[in-house]
Amino acid sequence: MSFVSVQNLQKSYAGSTVFNDINCQIERGEFVTLLGPSGCGKSTLLRCIAGLTAVDSGRILLDGNDLVPLSPQKRGIGMVFQSYALFPNMTVEQNVAFGLRMQKVNSDDSQARVREVLHLVELQDFARRYPHQLSGGQCQRVALARSLVTRPRLLLLDEPLSALDARIRKHLREQIRAIQRELGLTTIFVTHDQEEALTLSDRIFLMNQGRIVQSGDAETLYTAPVDVFAAGFIGNYNLLDADSASRLLQRPVSSRLAIRPEAIALGLEGELEGRVRSHSLLGNVIRYRVEARGVELLVDVLNRSSADLHPDGQRVALSIDPTALCEVA
Amino acid sequence: MSRAEPGTSSLYHRLVVYLLFIILLLPLAGTLLYSLATSWSASLLPSGLTFKWYLALWSDPRFLAAFGQSLLVCVGALLLSVLLILPLLFVVHYHFPRLDALMNILILLPFAVPPVVSSVGLLQLYGSGPMAMVGTPWILIGCYFTVALPFMYRAITNNLQAINLRDLMDAAQLLGASTFQAAFLVVLPNLRKGLMVALLLSFSFLFGEFVFANLLVGTRYETLQVYLNNMRNSSGHFNSALVISYFLFVLVLTWAANRLNKDKS
Repeated sequence: MSFVSVQNLQKSYAGSTVFNDINCQIERGEFVTLLGPSGCGKSTLLRCIAGLTAVDSGRILLDGNDLVPLSPQKRGIGMVFQSYALFPNMTVEQNVAFGLRMQKVNSDDSQARVREVLHLVELQDFARRYPHQLSGGQCQRVALARSLVTRPRLLLLDEPLSALDARIRKHLREQIRAIQRELGLTTIFVTHDQEEALTLSDRIFLMNQGRIVQSGDAETLYTAPVDVFAAGFIGNYNLLDADSASRLLQRPVSSRLAIRPEAIALGLEGELEGRVRSHSLLGNVIRYRVEARGVELLVDVLNRSSADLHPDGQRVALSIDPTALCEVA
Repeated sequence: MSRAEPGTSSLYHRLVVYLLFIILLLPLAGTLLYSLATSWSASLLPSGLTFKWYLALWSDPRFLAAFGQSLLVCVGALLLSVLLILPLLFVVHYHFPRLDALMNILILLPFAVPPVVSSVGLLQLYGSGPMAMVGTPWILIGCYFTVALPFMYRAITNNLQAINLRDLMDAAQLLGASTFQAAFLVVLPNLRKGLMVALLLSFSFLFGEFVFANLLVGTRYETLQVYLNNMRNSSGHFNSALVISYFLFVLVLTWAANRLNKDKS
């Protein structure tokens, strides 16, 4: 029996179905990510688990108990919001202590626990500040501390990094993962950012239009997309229809084909000839647009030195790793 | 925002501001001087300065009663509006956000109907029968409540939109707070600023209200403005002292409220 088990969950809102028959299992201590484009129902699913949004039917089992009839106060779930949702009238300390105050924990205990959790998010020196005196990253760490201090059975993170700038985002996501591992906390993380999902998660649930399209670890999701949506959403797959694929490979291909841009190597001599149409420098990677047999492909090459750069218009030979060809429905 | 460059343009800006202040303050300064003058007619400057008009005013029991009654009616009306509007606003914004559009139309009504017209209606409605309140302070409190409604509603709504009501409520509830606790401990303290602005605005407006007070209650429960109107045939110096006293009171109140409303940081 899984620690969290969502069974046949249904939710419609104002006549339109948000999601239909959602099923997923999460193990104790696992870090899973709900990944998907905006409007795919991932945030609604999270809010249903938290109890902030009512479900139409289905069950959400946490450690064997059905959460659906319980109010959010009684679920023992911590949640971090994209907007931080810190209480502006309270100091960092008071914000973090709020949950303990609601549980009527005595003040000595409460102080010790607040200190401990502020230490965990490295904000012990900011206890007396107000939220408006903190940066975005600090605010989100306070929010994290606030949801951890009550020792929730399950932690929900609703796009917690989306409002932060790139550098802080990277740092904070590592910190979140480290804390999650240290506490062994079962965590559900919602994001629309594939990089966040791939780097953080034990397991990813890829969602689209209210369905879980694919679930698995980062490796599986990245290398073996199950359908066109999955291939299009994760990575920068070259998606070829059956005709183009047949022409490119010069053998009959019956379905659509996805090829990762880094699975194609560029050389100067070889069987499959192409021409560089343009290139762009992404930093450590150079992304070429190459045309071969009338098919345009994206090719990612590690940026080793500027001497290796293929100028636009140059003839090149492509070699495609046959194991990286992925037929998608 | 860019700072004005030094030189002619800054001089021009300052001139405009000073001019505006002079235009606004000149009548007030004249009134102040008149209230302090022993007598002032047919000469450029008053013949002498005295506090006797203020002494006379502040020892007139009728004035003190009117002042107290004005205060009572205003505070009563504002208390009523806080008690009714705060929960209403919370319910509208948290549970029925779509009602906000309707509320925005409703709160314009006190502006749309001129006081003279609505007092005629109120006189008819509350002049006799089971709800006969005309001539008592109660009708003024009720009527002032409707007048204060737009100020209160708008100011607090702006404040509510500035805080992220839904997320704050959700966060508080997940941390174990009941809806009431969340509203009282988390939302209410963050509405303090909007509430203070609303109260101040409404108070200054209601304290100077004349039409409703005169038509609905008149001399039976004399408020400050009705008293001022009834004294219009007495000495102009005396009336000036009354106006200045009234103005200073509102000024001090505003200043005090602003001090209290300063950020803790």
